[in-house]
Amino acid sequence: MSLLSIQNLTKTFGAGQMAVRAIDGVSFDVREGECLAIVGESGSGKTTLANMIMGILSQTSGLITFDGKPLGARRSPGQRRAIQLVQQNPLSSLNPKRSIGASVRLGLDTYNIGPKSARWNSVERALEAVGLPTEMRKRAPSALSGGQRQRVSIARALACSPRLLVLDEPTSALDVLVQARVLRLLNNLRTDLGLTYVFITHDLAVVRNIADRVAVFQSGKLVEIDDTSQIFTDPQQPYTRSLIGTVPVVDAEELTLRDKLAGQT
Amino acid sequence: MTKLLEISDLTLSFKELFATTDVLHGISLSIAAGERVALVGESGSGKSVTARIILGLLQETKTAHITGDVVFEGKDISGMVRRDRARLRGTEMSMIFQDPTSSLNPTFTIGRQFIEILRRRDGNRAKADCLLRATEMLDEVSIPNPERVLASYAFQLSGGMNQRVMIAMALANQPKLLLADEPGTALDVSVQAQTLDLMRNMVTDHRTAVLFISHNLGVVREFADRVFVIYRGNIVEDGPTAAIFADPRHAYTRALMSAVPRITGAGLPEVPEVSEAFLAPQISHGDVA
Repeated sequence: MSLLSIQNLTKTFGAGQMAVRAIDGVSFDVREGECLAIVGESGSGKTTLANMIMGILSQTSGLITFDGKPLGARRSPGQRRAIQLVQQNPLSSLNPKRSIGASVRLGLDTYNIGPKSARWNSVERALEAVGLPTEMRKRAPSALSGGQRQRVSIARALACSPRLLVLDEPTSALDVLVQARVLRLLNNLRTDLGLTYVFITHDLAVVRNIADRVAVFQSGKLVEIDDTSQIFTDPQQPYTRSLIGTVPVVDAEELTLRDKLAGQT
Repeated sequence: MTKLLEISDLTLSFKELFATTDVLHGISLSIAAGERVALVGESGSGKSVTARIILGLLQETKTAHITGDVVFEGKDISGMVRRDRARLRGTEMSMIFQDPTSSLNPTFTIGRQFIEILRRRDGNRAKADCLLRATEMLDEVSIPNPERVLASYAFQLSGGMNQRVMIAMALANQPKLLLADEPGTALDVSVQAQTLDLMRNMVTDHRTAVLFISHNLGVVREFADRVFVIYRGNIVEDGPTAAIFADPRHAYTRALMSAVPRITGAGLPEVPEVSEAFLAPQISHGDVA
């Protein structure tokens, strides 16, 4: 059963001769409960796509439906609440003048979730869910490490009890040990809360281990979409193979696999 | 083998009003002429401050207390007068930063910035001569139409293009040592791979030694001859790249390795708990594999 369905979606920036098709006639479904990875180089349209799913950008043509209903230019609070975004850079996506707690609470107030008296309690539960101490709600983002800030971004998204999380490079700004923890956390939350993820990244090694399916984008077009295991054993498109060929690897087994996949032209 | 750079027992602490923060606890590392050495560790481990000490920048900071020797081409950098240290930067040693677009000056053209850098070496170098050299360098980093790039501002070029410009600028004065702090982390994988290939070819051709600072083990494996792993201001393991990757011995190095997701897909990496063993003494694999 598909939760999010994208049909013939196009986004054009500019007009006339200067027009750029950032997303060019793309169709795919995101199934309820799955983690779909969106991969591609910069400029392939990944973030434009995320912004359209979030309703930050409106599409030039095509249709996005969520839970069977089209997402129009004006979304109902319920629709907005159900789809939440986690951005790449946790420092620039948190308001530096708001305490952690106030940032997490914002969604609850905006969508009027639960009685007012219970909202600080919900904030604390959201912080607990991402493994942060509840006292942290009084701190400013600047007092937190990169990994903690990213947990706050996730808590903020979770506080609204969403059904779909759009994760735009959620671990790219983190170093490897912190990344491992955040990835574990995301994976556990998905299982525990029955969430659906659209996971945008250029890190294919992360994709291999967290995604159920992978959609490969090149210059605004969807070039290949398939199960993760299929993409990493028998990619069909030369572009997918060349992307896999550029992944930096650390052990001999990976090197063999990468060269095998990249070399099948 | 003669060493281009020899750091021994380097410590760094920052004095604050009521406390002192120790950042480096006596690290030693050396780089031979033409050698590519990586310094790997997580954020806050002391990688970037080490680079800033080698460049002679932290010595200018009043709150920084530095002991130990940093010897570059036989001369102790810490003992130099300020002007001599400044003279080394951009001539004998140069640096490439993480985000190429923000490390280029947005108010001058690329050409103007090349002239400035080339004149650090030779203050009287004629403009036309500088631009000729700049064109040559841009050509070497495979930038098509160098004249157009020289007349452009950094914001008019893509991130990958700016990264190449940075490499060309950093190598324009034929430095003996290049410090590269997470180059390409701000770029996507395929551009990053191209950048690293290019950088490797350039430093091989020019016999430039590189200190490569990174937290990305995959990138380090592809780029470096020798690796130093740093944890909380201590070097915990060092050796030839092949040896470190085939046989990581220190608990911290092993934890780092195990945290990297693999494309062979063994599931999400285990999250290693911080353990006492991370603070165990340095393990050295020696100089040759």
